[in-house]
Amino acid sequence: MLKTFKHHTHSMNKITVARISLLACAALANLWFAGCMPGTGAPSVPAVVTPSLHPSGSITVWSWNIAAKSLMRLIPGFNKLYPDVKVNVDMTGAQMQTRLMLSLACGVGAPQVSQLQLTDTPHYIDTGRLADLTPVAAQLRNSFPDYLWENCEKNGHVYAIPWDTGPCAVFYKRDIFQKYGIDPNKIDTWADYIQAGEEILRKSGGKTKMLPLGLDSLENMYLIILQQVRGQIFDEQGRIAINSKASQEALAIIKEMREAGICSDVQMFSQEFMAGINDNSIATYPSAVWLAGTIRDTTKDYGLGKSRWGVFRLPAVTKGGLHVANFGGSVLVIPAQCKNKAAAWAFIKYALCSRKGQADQYRNFDLFPAYLPAQKMPQVTEPDKFFGGERVGVLFARDISKISKLNITPDWAEASTYIEEALSDWAANGMHNRNFFGNLEIRMQRRLGDSISPQSLSYSENNG
Amino acid sequence: MKNEAESQWRRDIIKYRHFYLFISPFFILFAAFSLYPVLFSLFLSFMKWNGLTQWKWVGLGNFTSMLYDDILWRSLWNTLIIGLLYIPPMMILAFIFAQVLNAQWLKLRAFYRAALFLPCVTPMVVIAIVFSLIFSSEKGVLNYAIMGVGHMLPFLHLKPIPWLESESWSKTSVAILVVWRWTGYNMIIMLAGLQGIPTEYYEAAMVDGAGMWERVKSVTMPLMRPTFAFCGLLSLLGTVYMFDEIFVLTNGGPGVSSMNFGLYLFNLSFTDFKFGYASCVAYTVAVAVFFITLAGLRITRQREEAK
Repeated sequence: MLKTFKHHTHSMNKITVARISLLACAALANLWFAGCMPGTGAPSVPAVVTPSLHPSGSITVWSWNIAAKSLMRLIPGFNKLYPDVKVNVDMTGAQMQTRLMLSLACGVGAPQVSQLQLTDTPHYIDTGRLADLTPVAAQLRNSFPDYLWENCEKNGHVYAIPWDTGPCAVFYKRDIFQKYGIDPNKIDTWADYIQAGEEILRKSGGKTKMLPLGLDSLENMYLIILQQVRGQIFDEQGRIAINSKASQEALAIIKEMREAGICSDVQMFSQEFMAGINDNSIATYPSAVWLAGTIRDTTKDYGLGKSRWGVFRLPAVTKGGLHVANFGGSVLVIPAQCKNKAAAWAFIKYALCSRKGQADQYRNFDLFPAYLPAQKMPQVTEPDKFFGGERVGVLFARDISKISKLNITPDWAEASTYIEEALSDWAANGMHNRNFFGNLEIRMQRRLGDSISPQSLSYSENNG
Repeated sequence: MKNEAESQWRRDIIKYRHFYLFISPFFILFAAFSLYPVLFSLFLSFMKWNGLTQWKWVGLGNFTSMLYDDILWRSLWNTLIIGLLYIPPMMILAFIFAQVLNAQWLKLRAFYRAALFLPCVTPMVVIAIVFSLIFSSEKGVLNYAIMGVGHMLPFLHLKPIPWLESESWSKTSVAILVVWRWTGYNMIIMLAGLQGIPTEYYEAAMVDGAGMWERVKSVTMPLMRPTFAFCGLLSLLGTVYMFDEIFVLTNGGPGVSSMNFGLYLFNLSFTDFKFGYASCVAYTVAVAVFFITLAGLRITRQREEAK
């Protein structure tokens, strides 16, 4: 009987051998991933945008969620000025930027106007496939803050227009602060903030944490504090400058926060993060202005009193230090392949370079205007009922010109992966600071191939 | 002679041209969508190219870069751990389900089969939403259950598990999702394997006085070995190139604690746009997987022959 089994097993084995061989070949299928590329071709000369008094035709704009809705809301106003331009805002959703990059590489398929994250903009400018906006946009230079505009330029040419910016502050729950006797006006530094957090934690019996700060949010917090102490990841020449006193200061504050036990270990926009907006598990959300939109949206279904929320300025690192930092923000660009650049520019100009266009976007969708004249519009400066009548727009606009510019390089996304991974590892394994940034700097140098900045601590150590 | 053979060959082609025409679509498509990308990516492995600028020959530069790419090594390590975490329980469960659903006495078998197969045809986005609710550390149903057990059995000192927030648990969360999603698929393959075993063998074993466990051990298991090997291989490839489960559940995080090779390769290609380096990594790992598969196959064969 056993022999029969063996014979049967052998014949099945032959079939399996054939199948397995086929499958092994199928392993090569992953090569498609990297191999099925769009055609190459010499980089095209970036087309220059020239304005037209009477643009016409139709344009497509690629954008995502709230930002896209905000643009859609502007179309009727735009069409009053430019009735011959038909605007189609395409909320293309997931992996939009990747698809844009592929369209740029192929030379076809890109929209006439596209949104980009500010931090990705230099990477896309570096491709040489974006239209040169210098002739129409150069005169707008002083209407935008330096920390945004300088990341939209390359070699003195303008390739992107800043849209919204993400000045930071702390959103807090008034009722929790009142209940535990915390005065937000007395929170001046991060040390004060941590102390208040400890008090809330103690008085609430450990139920209310001060802020959400999961492993994936550490990089955001690090970058916010780094700007406050005028630190950099890369220097002006794109060399790695992360190993600095400023970085160490930022890390020390994060360590203090986590050690105090005031951080809720939740991922940004996870279930707990969102639930914390409505319950008492989290007292404050230090973040950028655009989070206000999420808070308004999340609380409206719960019928809570609208005055429950307030905003106070970002704590400084030391007394008298900077209370400002930027987190997020996006831009609009015109791909060089766009055939109707005049219409595309007319739309960008209306949406981003007009006081009304930008101010309306803040009122409707909490997109804080990068266009400085718009920050003085009533839509921005008026009291905000949701935040108990506070002039929130004024608070966010205060000292905005003092925000320290982060030097964003084309390598930023890859560098960011390394920083996020290192911080997450650091927090998960006991937060030992010993040469944290020195090691990170070496790893970044090996992968990115960038040199080390003379500003780096290791550079000065190695060079006496 | 040679010329004669050649002209004969030509004559044959002309004579059977219609047949060649009929089979040509496959070869054209294969050449355009399979052969060309594979060869092109081999070429790219020696280049530095971001898809937009002119490519630059770097020789073996990409291969040496791999040695220093600690995120690549971590992603390969994660791939191995995730595989070890999910493949054994998935195979055992799939086998048990297949055995049960193969039983003649079970009613509504078609319904159960469909129900168990359903997860692998459910859209991943839906699964991700449901699982992020299940894995939620403070509001999740899984932690709710754990705490429920903890209340009943306080000596166990159970605490809520940070499924998606902790570096040490993120891989386990991915493994749980994968077990849930792919057990039904493997079960169907195993069911086919079980149904391929002639009932006479079981009858003969029963006549010989074999009990249920004996029958499984001496009849089912040896005959199912090729099926197990097939499922194992599918799972191995599935682990290396797994993408959507991780992309939507953790996106490789926290940090890169749950980033597997598939996601890493995607990021390298379509976030960092390092097509040359991505091709090099893809080729190296594909060749490694090929040889591992070959080695596994040889070992299985040798074992069979030894018997």
